[in-house]
Amino acid sequence: MINITKLSKTYSKDKIVEDLSLTINKGQIFGFLGPNGAGKTTTMKMLVGLSTPSCGIIEINNSSINKNKELIGYMPEDPYFYDHLTAKEFLTFMQELFKNKTKDIQNILKLVGLEKAMHQKIQEFSKGMKQRLGLAQAIINDPQYLFLDEPLDGLDPIGRREFKEIFLNLKKEGKTIFFNSHVLSDVEEICDQIGIINKGKLIYSGDVKTFCGKKSLEDAFVEKLINK
Amino acid sequence: MKNILTIAKNTFKETIRDKILYGIFAFALLFLLSTIFFGSISLGEDVKVVKDFGLAGIYAFSIIITVFLGTSLIYKEIEKRTLYVILSKPVTIIQFLLGKFFGLFASVSLNILLMTIVHLAVVYFKGGGFDYLSLWSILLLIFEIALFISIAILFSTFSTPLAGAIYSIILLYIGHSLGLLLDYVKNSGALAKFFANVVYYILPNLEKFNIRNSVVHGIHPTGSDIIYPILYSSLYSIILLWLAATSLKKQEI
Repeated sequence: MINITKLSKTYSKDKIVEDLSLTINKGQIFGFLGPNGAGKTTTMKMLVGLSTPSCGIIEINNSSINKNKELIGYMPEDPYFYDHLTAKEFLTFMQELFKNKTKDIQNILKLVGLEKAMHQKIQEFSKGMKQRLGLAQAIINDPQYLFLDEPLDGLDPIGRREFKEIFLNLKKEGKTIFFNSHVLSDVEEICDQIGIINKGKLIYSGDVKTFCGKKSLEDAFVEKLINK
Repeated sequence: MKNILTIAKNTFKETIRDKILYGIFAFALLFLLSTIFFGSISLGEDVKVVKDFGLAGIYAFSIIITVFLGTSLIYKEIEKRTLYVILSKPVTIIQFLLGKFFGLFASVSLNILLMTIVHLAVVYFKGGGFDYLSLWSILLLIFEIALFISIAILFSTFSTPLAGAIYSIILLYIGHSLGLLLDYVKNSGALAKFFANVVYYILPNLEKFNIRNSVVHGIHPTGSDIIYPILYSSLYSIILLWLAATSLKKQEI
């Protein structure tokens, strides 16, 4: 379970995230939505321990994030990796940073559709291929909690479908997925719960269906932001 | 320790495959081979001139390689956000920096080793025999490079590669001129002497690593000529890398 209590982040005098409290249950896919500059990426960076909160508490499995890094996977937005390494070399490097090496690199490359490119240098990769490699490195340690920042960006429709299938399979295995996205139709399709953040404040958290009612997620989302 | 080695191995692979390195290394080899020519135009001092130019060339090219690779080492990680991927894994900032340091150190040391082999071959070809004395000078160069890599890493945590290169080269120049600074203020007032002493003890004294002139003239270095600079480099590098870690921790990456 991920527990976020009264989380805030201030840069200079600007409050980027303010008093954010959320609980994400184990085995859920949670979509974190919001307009550009709402504080989604800043929140995610705090969740994975890259940024220190100005105040508030983040707990994963009832303990701090730094004690749980073996259990998490993170894919940054628009990922960029080491140009001179091949995909396989890069994933071997990533895997060696963990104590627990349960996943087979070849299987992961096959899962994300990069099996044929495993010996290709990353500098020759397209944006979509880098996105696939980004997901591969995030699941290299067989994480219990997966944090994905705009994972569907830069993918073609086939790639997006494949990624959504991977997410649903990971959910079946009991993994918890927290992801930021602008693509609301995809969020509607695969998420159990959503959180909406605007100007650093959480304005909705709960079930997708309850939020949408009879509208599409996009219509309900736009309406919510305009009314705010 | 395992994480440091893993990051070092990856950094070594990354830097050793950088095309800039090959370009500089090709120039270095050309220079070392051209010392044969410098030797032949000198008057009866062939071997000494070859040794002198060869060691100076190895030093200069090692510094160039370190500046090119070192000053962008951490900056690139921040700019391209590869640092996000590493630090979200069970890796601390100090492990990350030590890994980067040892990776680049291994890469530059390998280049120095290859240049040294060419230099020794040139000296042997010119009739100087096996120039084992040069190896002491090369050993100290490797430890000077370790210190210089730490300087470059510190600058690359908060400045662009160009600015980092300028700061590093200025510090390199000052580091080799600290003795001159003390001589210069010998007859000055107390304030100037105090200021010069502060600068002398705070900034890295890189002349401690320079025994090139002695070995070219066949003078054997003493034990303390070798051990003291090695300890100095190790201690100074630890302090610089600790400062780099502090600088990186303070930044919102």
